[in-house]
Amino acid sequence: MPATSVTPEIPFREYRLANGLRLVLHRDRTLPLVAINLWYHVGSRHELPGRTGLAHLFEHMLFQGSEHVGTNDHFRYVQQVGGVANGSTWYDRTNYHETLPAQHLDLGLWLESDRMGFLLPALTQEKLDNQRDVVMNERRQRVDNQPYGRAFERLHELLYAPGHPYRWPVIGSMEDIAAATLDEVRDFFRVYYSPDNAVLTLAGDFDLSEAQDRVEAWFGDLATGPVRPVLATPPAAIEGERRDEISDRVQLPRVYLAWEGPSYGTDAWYAGSLLCVALGSGKSSPLYSDLVLGRQLAKDVSAFIFPTELGATTAIVATARPGVSAADLEHALDEHIERAAAAELPGPDFERARNQLLRSAFAGIETVESKAEQLSQFATYFGNPGFLQRELSAYAETSPEAARQFAKRYWRRDRRTALTVVPETRP
Amino acid sequence: MSGIDRVDRSRVPQASRVQVVKFPPFIRHRLPCGLTVVAARLPRVPLVTMELVLQGGAQHDPAGRHGLATLVAGMLDEGTARRDMNTLAASVERAGSYLTSSANWDASFVQTGGLAAHWREGLSTLAEVALEPTFPAVEFERLRRQRQAELIGRRDQPDALAEEHFTRLLFARTAYDHMLVGDLESLEAITRDDVTSFYSAHLAADDAALVAAGDLDPEAVMRVAGEIFAHWPAATRHAPPRVEPRAPEGVSIRLVDRPQAAQTELRIGHAGISRLDPDRSVLRVLNSLLGGKFTSRINLNLRERHGYTYGASSRFVERFGRGPFVVSCAVSSEHAGAATREVLGELNRLREELVSDEELDDARNYLLGVFPYALQTADDLVDKLEDLVVYGLPNDDFERHLHNMMAVTKEDILASAQRHLHPEKAYIVAVGPEAALTPQFDGIGTILPTGS
Repeated sequence: MPATSVTPEIPFREYRLANGLRLVLHRDRTLPLVAINLWYHVGSRHELPGRTGLAHLFEHMLFQGSEHVGTNDHFRYVQQVGGVANGSTWYDRTNYHETLPAQHLDLGLWLESDRMGFLLPALTQEKLDNQRDVVMNERRQRVDNQPYGRAFERLHELLYAPGHPYRWPVIGSMEDIAAATLDEVRDFFRVYYSPDNAVLTLAGDFDLSEAQDRVEAWFGDLATGPVRPVLATPPAAIEGERRDEISDRVQLPRVYLAWEGPSYGTDAWYAGSLLCVALGSGKSSPLYSDLVLGRQLAKDVSAFIFPTELGATTAIVATARPGVSAADLEHALDEHIERAAAAELPGPDFERARNQLLRSAFAGIETVESKAEQLSQFATYFGNPGFLQRELSAYAETSPEAARQFAKRYWRRDRRTALTVVPETRP
Repeated sequence: MSGIDRVDRSRVPQASRVQVVKFPPFIRHRLPCGLTVVAARLPRVPLVTMELVLQGGAQHDPAGRHGLATLVAGMLDEGTARRDMNTLAASVERAGSYLTSSANWDASFVQTGGLAAHWREGLSTLAEVALEPTFPAVEFERLRRQRQAELIGRRDQPDALAEEHFTRLLFARTAYDHMLVGDLESLEAITRDDVTSFYSAHLAADDAALVAAGDLDPEAVMRVAGEIFAHWPAATRHAPPRVEPRAPEGVSIRLVDRPQAAQTELRIGHAGISRLDPDRSVLRVLNSLLGGKFTSRINLNLRERHGYTYGASSRFVERFGRGPFVVSCAVSSEHAGAATREVLGELNRLREELVSDEELDDARNYLLGVFPYALQTADDLVDKLEDLVVYGLPNDDFERHLHNMMAVTKEDILASAQRHLHPEKAYIVAVGPEAALTPQFDGIGTILPTGS
């Protein structure tokens, strides 16, 4: 029984421009702000082996100016009117967003349309070289110089069969980043950064028809992109258990148990997501209350499933307490996994999970930024900006039995990848 | 394709200047029991966030008992006279709510948030953990071990190492000379008696505050708080200790060896200002253009001009006493010396030359414009309102700050830079491959001997 009769929702209007650009508008006049959120349906999975990291490198290049916007001026124009801007890259998509004082909507639309339509004339070798250095430092900072930083790359290498695009990391390999040529970067842009491969969402304080006109004015004459290549279907999941142990500059062993799960948006995905929250979210969850508080084998533990399109990584990750071995920790995790597959979790765990998810759903509609982000995400992945309602009902309708079925079907020992990171032995 | 370009792409679209957004209305009253209630209504989404602010933080950590304040805060929700830790956590979480407790240098906090329908239970829970904690010995033991495990886990985190070394150098022999969480030895030394006496001395005071925001009726919150907290114990407030870090003679450098590190973590800085410093608004504008935003001098220099780093920033951390002023970045190790020179150069430039009108305008407009972004959620409002009660500030502190920032001149920036930036007496910490770093710091300052 939900504690409130109100359900989270994001009312919207949707349009499609003649060039294929999908436009989603959500009006919220609480504060004089507008969030501009642009998703391109291109991520690291659209790259080719040997040329990984292009989508992410591109995210950087898109802030380096376009035909009418000078190098570094994107951030300058946005910040000098009191705006914020950023972008991010993931397996399936890249996004770019600005939040601006409402009267500066045109500024944001100018910047986004200029880099969608007029990027290539401003793309130079010098800018590419500079951002390559920045990206290599980003990789060092986030991956190479972080304890456990390389674990996820190894995990995905083991988890996905050769040819599967989730096998390589979003940020790419150092060699590939270093090798990318200006021509390759240009080609990648021509294919994927076109209006018909994007969703533009505006959320905030504006007049609906006026905003639609402004978008039409800035984006209406940008050319539709070429036909995008049909990418090979990912190979089937690998049979059999895979194990590896890597040593790293860490003090405490960490255990990763991972599986290839169902795609985001499917009933099975929601069953998995609900199971992860029921099993591992909060002090009173079975994983935390047993492993961290009770038996005190772990310093931390989490269970999750990625929201990705070509199947999804689902994993349970735990870090050992000092003096606890990776093997003992893994054994304890196994007990929980077997239990989740054998019998439904207790009712209160599901009540907690549902209410926590309801709270996060409400938290997700508190700001114009996060509303715009969700509308873009749902429009990109499911062709339906209103997919939030489907998502909430999927959570509401998922039974404890469906969650058990998920554990039984996906969290199988003979399909899993077990990776442990152990402290390197030092002289 | 329409074929007709209806917009002029060659010019930056102009619009009217940033409008100043007012801070939303809130109430602030002191109840007869001594508790101050600060509450703001934000009705758009049925969520509430409520926080008890307890005066007493890590600035009162006794010598040899570093980490005590955060440990005491952590113990508040580990069991009460009414419920054990498991029962408490289960009932809070089953309603979809959360309950956290923490301490910083200046105060301790217990926070709960959840669906608005549960606000009364939320208030009772806050009262229960703040007024009736039992500090069970078994949970004390567990939490202390958990904190030690966290500390052990941090040894290989270059950013945590850099922060720790910088803190120890800068604040040696002051109340801020340690990490909030403490260290392995101090956590080992802390007893359950230390916890209960710190609680009685510092947290159970009559000048606590309740800060609430969200889909709630402020008057109703005040009324119910009056009932629930009617018997708040009386106690005296402890004055914050005086923190006057000693500046080094010249530039002092600590190299922390991580032989195979892929990168070097850099911290460059010195003592900054108190939250109560009258120069605060000028320094906010100064820092914004120096290292507080993407288009700041330091980031554009180190990242966009040189490609040394993924990002560099600076900030003044404000506390009761003088917090740090620090520039932070992770750079490719072969450029650590060059990056440091660039940073020191930027600090000097600000002390020597007036900033341009355009740069000043950009910084001010940025700070005014982004102000409303942090007024969108219940959590945001609680974050802002808690400052008023922790530091005893007037209700119009936000408006005054905005007004003061708007009034900042180029001359103010120059004078403030000369008063508050001291590159010639900076502490520098570099965590990376020492052998490669040592020659790069030649001529920058004195490299402190290892272990000193």
